[in-house]
Amino acid sequence: MKNSRSQPGILKPFPMQGIWSGTVSFSLVAIPVQLVKAVKPGRISFRLLHSKDYSLLKRRMFCPEEKVMVPPEEIVRGYEIAPGQYIPVTDEELESLAPEQSRTIEIVEFIDMQEIDPVYFDHCYYLVPAKGGEKAYRLLAEAMRRTHKAGLAKFVLREREYLVAIKSTEGALALITLHYREEILPYENISPKETTIDAEEESRIIKSIKNMMADFNPGKYADKRREQIMALLNQKAKEKTRVEAPEGEEEEGEGPADLVAALEESMRKMKREQ
Amino acid sequence: MSKKIVEISGRRLSLSNLEKDLYPSYGFTKAQILEYYRRMARFILPHLQDRALTMKRYPEGVDEEFFFEKRCPAHRPAWVETAELSLDDGEGMTVCLVNDLTTLMWVANLASLELHVPLARADSPETPDAVVFDLDPGEPANILDCARVALILRDLLSPLGLAAYVKTSGKKGLHVYVPLNRQDPTFEDTKKFSKAVAGTLQKNYPEFVTAKMAKEYRHGKVFINWSQNDPSHTMVCVYSLRALEKPTVSFPLAWRELEDLAGQGIPEKLQIIHSEAVSRAEKQGDLFREVLEKKQKLPHL
Repeated sequence: MKNSRSQPGILKPFPMQGIWSGTVSFSLVAIPVQLVKAVKPGRISFRLLHSKDYSLLKRRMFCPEEKVMVPPEEIVRGYEIAPGQYIPVTDEELESLAPEQSRTIEIVEFIDMQEIDPVYFDHCYYLVPAKGGEKAYRLLAEAMRRTHKAGLAKFVLREREYLVAIKSTEGALALITLHYREEILPYENISPKETTIDAEEESRIIKSIKNMMADFNPGKYADKRREQIMALLNQKAKEKTRVEAPEGEEEEGEGPADLVAALEESMRKMKREQ
Repeated sequence: MSKKIVEISGRRLSLSNLEKDLYPSYGFTKAQILEYYRRMARFILPHLQDRALTMKRYPEGVDEEFFFEKRCPAHRPAWVETAELSLDDGEGMTVCLVNDLTTLMWVANLASLELHVPLARADSPETPDAVVFDLDPGEPANILDCARVALILRDLLSPLGLAAYVKTSGKKGLHVYVPLNRQDPTFEDTKKFSKAVAGTLQKNYPEFVTAKMAKEYRHGKVFINWSQNDPSHTMVCVYSLRALEKPTVSFPLAWRELEDLAGQGIPEKLQIIHSEAVSRAEKQGDLFREVLEKKQKLPHL
């Protein structure tokens, strides 16, 4: 007889949408996890409307040569090799280079987290334990927290292979995608080398730094511009200065261009055969 | 109030009000409902397996009030399997998993005539196993119009290398499923895909198809409800009874049969009733099996 599957709430599942699911593994351990976003940028976004009738505007591709709108099936990618000179690349060619999708994040080595310069940090995610993985997950998170170590791994998400660091954050595993070395711009010439440093001046600066020391408390700082825009929007909503867009033909676009083109092609084929 | 204790696979289950007629104008008692689900268990259980059940309960029968129950009742027997789901507000919720006959009998005994399940399993709630096109006719359009749209859908998807399967909703419409059974798709993918397909159909057949939710567009047309491809939505499970006047069933059809029935032009023939469901399933097996097994990839996303 099977017992109830519910787990005691060690780590509550996140209410966020999973981006990927698979396992984190190293040596003999494999932990089933889900990848979720750790950050939701607070930027307020606006839609673009036509000022005359408040219709929602659409972006279309325009050919300045023929002076016509270009349908998706006539659009190809080109890499600019010299001004005005391009190498066309097809989707199939790009697809053939896509790394093989993988269900595992394989930790290949452990490093000290402090060794990674934050300039390498790209995006932050959390790893959420999937059913059956809670115990091993907790074990790994705890061991990494105690030792202040992070795991380095290669990880394929969608079309790209990423270098990632997996670290422990308050008992949860965080995954940070890292930039590759060649993406980091040179900084060697930024620090001025010729000037001498006066020891007395230096110790004065160190002292004033010490006087201003605090614990990092991000809650103290708020995005002022966001607050101001939200206040403005609330006020305007109360004053009922809202406008309504006329019901458009297709409200939000038709979908990915390649898919729509493939569906139209399939539709033509179907109608021909009828 | 009558009670009867039964034993199934070593578990004791108390059944109540067996003589109560839950479909009064047709005549179908709770005992008959339990019998229906018992005989259909081997067909419906694989489709309920590991999915968070939403019960639609009719304690006083189909003519009286019903209620949806997503939470697994606290008074459940200890052997009922459950899963923890997280809600948008971060709260957890315990849901029932109907993974065996005894649980199915327990659920039916709660007068949950209709069994609804999400498109994802409880342990991977963000990974849809299938794309669904919920075809809903706006009067005076009917199920025959849905059949026409379903057949177009099949022919539209086939050149993309996608096989589709169809079942009746048991009410007015049809449900077309495109199995995926992979680990990588997200609901964002399936929604994007189904929306593009619905948009293409609307564009090519504006006189009888709409992809718009708003009621005023649906009059006389088949509404392709692509928005069902959402982690928070559920679909009525294949082989579930429906709470209409008669105990109809959400039942899978072979495409050939749908073509024939669409050609005959008699909408009533697209309505499968409990007895027919049992005899047909026992004869032909599970026509919806591939929905659980066939692995397919959505192109161009």
